[in-house]
Amino acid sequence: MSQKDRETANVGAGLWKGAGMWAWLFHRVSGVALALYLFAHIWVISRGAATGAEGFNTMFETLESPLFIVLDLFLLAAVVYHALNGIRVLLFDLGVAIRQQKTLFWAVIAISVVVMAVFAYISLSFIASHGA
Amino acid sequence: MRQGVIEENAGGMWLWLLQRLTAVVLIVGLAVHIVATHVLNLGELSYDNVAGRLAMPLFVVVDFALLGAGIFHALNGLRMVLLDYGFSGRSKTMLSWGLFVFGVAAFGYGAWALWPWLTA
Ligand code: HEM
Ligand code: HEM
Repeated sequence: MSQKDRETANVGAGLWKGAGMWAWLFHRVSGVALALYLFAHIWVISRGAATGAEGFNTMFETLESPLFIVLDLFLLAAVVYHALNGIRVLLFDLGVAIRQQKTLFWAVIAISVVVMAVFAYISLSFIASHGA
Repeated sequence: MRQGVIEENAGGMWLWLLQRLTAVVLIVGLAVHIVATHVLNLGELSYDNVAGRLAMPLFVVVDFALLGAGIFHALNGLRMVLLDYGFSGRSKTMLSWGLFVFGVAAFGYGAWALWPWLTA
């Protein structure tokens, strides 16, 4: 697969080596995870129309329990990484910074870690103040 | 060669371009959506809380933009992944149509899901 021509300027696509590969692999895995989440999410929101306000509220009590708030952090990590690396790939498509692809990958990781630290702080202090 | 590959493998320039355009819509939309739901209303989410947001035109626009752009980007993305692991000729055509029909249905279902709040 590595030798296959691709339509994308995503430098790591299909390679089996180096930072570019990890950038691409994480992008692919997070993209597939988000795609699955999206359809599950639409189904969850549709419970409002299907079961009315009562059923919807009961469901959200579960979804806002500590377990689900922590699971949400993994979802957010996928969103943040995929969004930032998506910008990295979009820059390559515009012909910008392709030679700096490795540096940009580490920048994506660094910003993701910072953003996730903020989200984790918000979520964990919510859990701490509202009890389990 | 490269041009041929684009048309054969990726579904052409339009799908490629739409994948980029929807990506940009998703960055902006998800930033608004996640801050509004997960950060500002964490612990407050309920039927009435959603109704309060969807009473504002901004959130109606954001939700429908996420629904449309998200479904396209997700399914076209899955198609890109699946095409790397096989699918050609007839099976590829069926995959494409299958995803298309699924996407249209999912959009309709998602719009129906928001209906009670929009018509309240
Ligand atoms: C922590 C993360 C998230 C939370 C708490 C959340 C919460 C919600 C809520 C409460 C609604 C109902 C409408 C509203 O209040 O605006 C909604 C709708 C929606 N969300 Fe999210 N969301 C999250 C992440 C995402 C992500 C990552 C996506 C994209 C893949 C997404 C896409 C959508 C869409 C398309 C709708 C409309 C659903 C429909 O039409 O049935 N959300 N979300
Ligand atoms: C937040 C903003 C987002 C940006 C900036 C973004 C950007 C991108 C870009 C540029 C690509 C093409 C990569 C390539 O050609 O190699 C892509 C692929 C993909 N995206 Fe997104 N995306 C975003 C959100 C999402 C969401 C919400 C989902 C799921 C619902 C998703 C699912 C996918 C999938 C499955 C792929 C295919 C991955 C692959 O071929 O390896 N993305 N994304």
